[in-house]
Amino acid sequence: MFLRIEKGSAVPISRQIADQIATLCASGNLRTGERLPSVRELARELAVNQNTILRVYERLCGEGLLEMRHGQGTFAVGGAAKGQLAAHRARLVDELRQIARQAIGLGLSDSEMHQLLTEATSGEVDAKHAVDPQRMTS
Amino acid sequence: MSDPAIELQAVYKSFRTTAVLRDLSLRVERGRTFAFLGLNASGKTTTIRMLLGLLPRDQGTIRVLGLDPQQEPLEIRRRVGYLAEDQTMYGWMRVEEILRFVAPFYPAWDHDLALRYVRDFELPPRAKIKHLSKGQNVRLGLVLALAHRPELVILDDPALGLDPIMRKQFNRDLITHLQGEGRTVFYSSHLLYEVEPVADEVAILHEGRIVRQSETEALRRHVKQLIIGRDALAAVRGQLHILDERSDDRHVAVTVQGAEHALQVLGVEGIEHRVVDLNLDEIFEAYVAGRAGAATEAQPQAEPQPST
Repeated sequence: MFLRIEKGSAVPISRQIADQIATLCASGNLRTGERLPSVRELARELAVNQNTILRVYERLCGEGLLEMRHGQGTFAVGGAAKGQLAAHRARLVDELRQIARQAIGLGLSDSEMHQLLTEATSGEVDAKHAVDPQRMTS
Repeated sequence: MSDPAIELQAVYKSFRTTAVLRDLSLRVERGRTFAFLGLNASGKTTTIRMLLGLLPRDQGTIRVLGLDPQQEPLEIRRRVGYLAEDQTMYGWMRVEEILRFVAPFYPAWDHDLALRYVRDFELPPRAKIKHLSKGQNVRLGLVLALAHRPELVILDDPALGLDPIMRKQFNRDLITHLQGEGRTVFYSSHLLYEVEPVADEVAILHEGRIVRQSETEALRRHVKQLIIGRDALAAVRGQLHILDERSDDRHVAVTVQGAEHALQVLGVEGIEHRVVDLNLDEIFEAYVAGRAGAATEAQPQAEPQPST
C-alpha cells in the first residue's frame, strides 16, 4: 500500500490518508481480505502520529471499508458501501470543479483542459503499470 | 493519572525591562505529544528553561510532574529527558564515552538501552562527537535524553538545522521511540508543517501568552478563511471572531476563529460566501501576524500547488 502525505497542504493529514485508502479500496488496489499495515507500521512509514492513523482506521471501519479483527490486524472489506462511494465521488467532482476554476483563471481553453486531463490520466496509467510488479513482490 | 505532566498558571517573566512572558498558562496532559509553537524570540526557550528549573520565574506557578522546578530542580532533571536547543557536547569525546560520562547523573540510567538506541539510531560508537553530522548530533542528544527512561521528554526545537530527510527521520524516531512508548513529549518548533503530522496538540505562544491551545486537527476545523462581499461583512462583523482580514475592491477575506459559528451566522443572514481551508502555517500566521480590521491590499488566493 503506497500512500503519500503532502505536508503543508490545506487538506488535513487524516483526510489525506483516509481519502487515499478509500481510493485504493474503490479502485480494487486494496482487495477484499487484504491486510493493511499495522497502526504502528503505517505511523512509522509515513512519519505520522499513531493516534491519527488509529482514528483513520476506526473511521474507515465505521464506513465499512475496513475491518479490525482482534489480534489479527486491519483488513480491507469487499463491496464498499454505495453511500461511501457516492460520497467519494462527490468529493472528487468538487475537487475537479476547483481545478477547473483555477484553469479558467489561468486562461486555459476547454480543449486545453481536456488535453491536460488526457495527459494526466495516461500518466497515471503508466505509473500504475510501473508500480504494479513491485506490489506483487512486496 | 489525572494530574497533568506540565502545568503553568499565570506565569510572568521579564529580563530587565523586557517582558517576555505575560500571563502564560498552559496544561499538558500525560501521554500526549505537545508542540509548543511561536515565532523566534517569542519566549519558547525561556519557558522551557523555567520548566527545568534553569531559570526562575517572576510570578505564577509551574508544576512539572507535580513538582515545582524552582524548589526541586535536581529531581526534575532526573525524571525529565531534556534536549536543549543547539545542544553542545564535548567534541573531543567519543559517542561511547559521553554515554558513560552522562550515566552517573541519572539514577535510572539504563546503559543497555542507551547502547540499543545508539544501534537503532545508527550512531558510530567510536566516532568523536565533533565529527558527527548535525542529524547525528540530535540523535545522540536524544539517546542521552531517553536512556534514563523519563516519563516526560522536553525538546527545545530539535528540528532546528536538520535537512528535510533528517527531519522526517527525527519525526519517525519521535513516533516510534516516544509516542510508541507512551511518554509525554513537549517540544518547541517553528516548522509547523513538520509538527502537524506528529503532534496531538499544539499551543501558540505570542506576545508572552498562549493565544491558542488546541488539538491539532480541531484547530484546522475551527479556523477557516471566508470570502464574502465587503458590504456583507459590515452586517455581521460584530458576530465574528476575526483573526485576520484582507480585502480587494469587492471582497474581503476574513480568517475567523470559531468557523462553525461563523458559517451559521452567514447562513442565518443569507450571505453568499466561499470557505477556504487553511494549512497550519496560515493558521499560525493569522494568530501571530493577523491584521484584524486592517484594510489591506488584495491577498493572493491559494495558488495551485505544483504537483511535481
